[in-house]
Amino acid sequence: MTEPILRVENLHTIYQGEERNVYAVNGISFSLNEKETIGLVGETGAGKTTTALSIMQLLPDRIGKITEGKIFYQGENLLEKNKEEIRLIRGACISMIFQDPMTALNPVMTVGDQIHESLSIHNYDNLPEEELQKRVDELLTLVGIPANRKKEYPHQFSGGMKQRIVIAIALACKPKILIADEPTTALDVTIQAQVLVLMEELQKQLGMAMIMITHDLGVVAATCDKVAIMYAGEILEYGTVEDIFAGERHHPYTKGLFEAIPSLDSHSRRLKPIEGLMPDPADLPPGCRFHPRCPYCREDCKTGAPYLFERNGHQIRCNLFQEDTAI
Amino acid sequence: MTSLIHAVELTKYFQVGKKRYLHAVDHVNLDIPEGKTLGVVGESGCGKSTLGRVVLGLLPATSGELYYQGEDLIHGNKKQRKKMQREMQIVFQDPYSSLNPRMSVYELIAEPLVMNHVYGSRRETLQRVQELMEIVGLAERFINSYPHEMDGGRRQRVGIARALALRPRFVVCDEPVSALDVSIQAQILNLLMDMQEELGLTYMFITHDLSVVKHISNEIMVMYLGQCVERAPAEELFQNPLHPYTKALLSAIPVPKLGASLKHNLLRGEVSDPINPEPGCRFAKRCDHCTEACAGKNFQLKELGDRHFVACALYQ
Repeated sequence: MTEPILRVENLHTIYQGEERNVYAVNGISFSLNEKETIGLVGETGAGKTTTALSIMQLLPDRIGKITEGKIFYQGENLLEKNKEEIRLIRGACISMIFQDPMTALNPVMTVGDQIHESLSIHNYDNLPEEELQKRVDELLTLVGIPANRKKEYPHQFSGGMKQRIVIAIALACKPKILIADEPTTALDVTIQAQVLVLMEELQKQLGMAMIMITHDLGVVAATCDKVAIMYAGEILEYGTVEDIFAGERHHPYTKGLFEAIPSLDSHSRRLKPIEGLMPDPADLPPGCRFHPRCPYCREDCKTGAPYLFERNGHQIRCNLFQEDTAI
Repeated sequence: MTSLIHAVELTKYFQVGKKRYLHAVDHVNLDIPEGKTLGVVGESGCGKSTLGRVVLGLLPATSGELYYQGEDLIHGNKKQRKKMQREMQIVFQDPYSSLNPRMSVYELIAEPLVMNHVYGSRRETLQRVQELMEIVGLAERFINSYPHEMDGGRRQRVGIARALALRPRFVVCDEPVSALDVSIQAQILNLLMDMQEELGLTYMFITHDLSVVKHISNEIMVMYLGQCVERAPAEELFQNPLHPYTKALLSAIPVPKLGASLKHNLLRGEVSDPINPEPGCRFAKRCDHCTEACAGKNFQLKELGDRHFVACALYQ
């Protein structure tokens, strides 16, 4: 088997507070092959964005810290590289789209200049200025914006257009991996569908691998190959999109998530919420992180780390599967 | 059946420049029967929140008529209106910014009671606050907490308790769950439905999320650029959507199922300019079925079948 383009091993990330530490990511591992899309799914505070920032090494200075783990990009551990080396990779080989296009763009710079900025920083071939400008035009056309609008400012574009510009900036240097952090959460459904279809087409065209961070299982079904369900900084279930959406065995949390979604086909009025709340990441429960909310919780869930069930790559971290009794 | 809220050709224009008017709500008719829920669906900028605010009297209407229990809310006398508006409340979208961060839960929930001099003594007010906290499922230990100490779901419960404090009969829910996670969203939606059953409330439920509105509404109204383009009972709208915009909106929702594709029925372009729109169908520029018949004149809602109304050239 060929080496995956990105491999994260046992990653732990904390935010150091004055009084207490926030344990945002607690030992997650996953790998991403070329041209593949993995979805990191979870609710607010599950550690999805922290995982992305750890890979990009954009954690806030002094506060955010990777305490353990390895992140391999094309076989090289990113955590052993110095700042200069990381800078060559970030933006050029791995780039990121942020959630809110309204705040991700600089309001006092034309959109053309913002795309140009990333090109000129990573201009290792010393291309002349005209070439770079030509590339800006190409990128705008690629994301479906007329190139003659490059002298305009962000406020002159609608939300969907702004997100297209953010995508153009992220794609400027033809990255190998694109991390998309809730790229469509701030957009309307019809615009969301346009942007998702655009991203899918661009991914095929440019042969990128993608990490799709989202809380929306519908977005995952439409875009991903592999899925990691995250909760309180851990991956509770990991598998192919078929495993998650059509498989028989599921983590109780995954099951709860699916049942909580208001469905278009169901006829019952009442919804089935997951009772309780996500635990405080500064004060995580012992044992399985999900046990206080789990309807199947047993005594052994409250103490030791949960059992890791694995079959054909489909992983579930839950004691219920010790006897392999599907729920 | 009598309707609690009745509006005829309700209109709200915002003046944004010399002879430039933003048509936020354009000749909308409403009829909400007592104890039922009207869902109002549309994308950002379609005027759904403005409609909610005009109905509550938080914004003055430009023209049109509005009745609450048959009483005229626009031309009626001010004192009378004020009294009726106490029975009409709102739950806001974002529980992070709609609560004053310097007020405790007690102060927040007691505020409407104190402002309206409902109770003479602090003891009675406290009793009502405790009662309200129980109704919305907030543990009593939070009574002295501040908004920043609570998560989004609990904050939204405080917002709901505030809205219920004056025993309203009509509540506008303006995207009450869109800032919340799915597992919490389901908790709040169930709470809203339980309260409707227990207290006999009438809701106008504003949202951009069609799957949420399906669960809570009896009737659904789809808005596009200030106009109502389709109105039908909830089940009917989902089984038999007629307007091309409603169809596109339904197929744009990412479904959590394998093999679901978004490419089917993908809408082109974006919402056009709501300032001084030309007469004619406002959706025409994005519509695949657009013909010459779509321009030139506005389309009225036409009843096709049982309480199913649609405004589109295809069905004239």
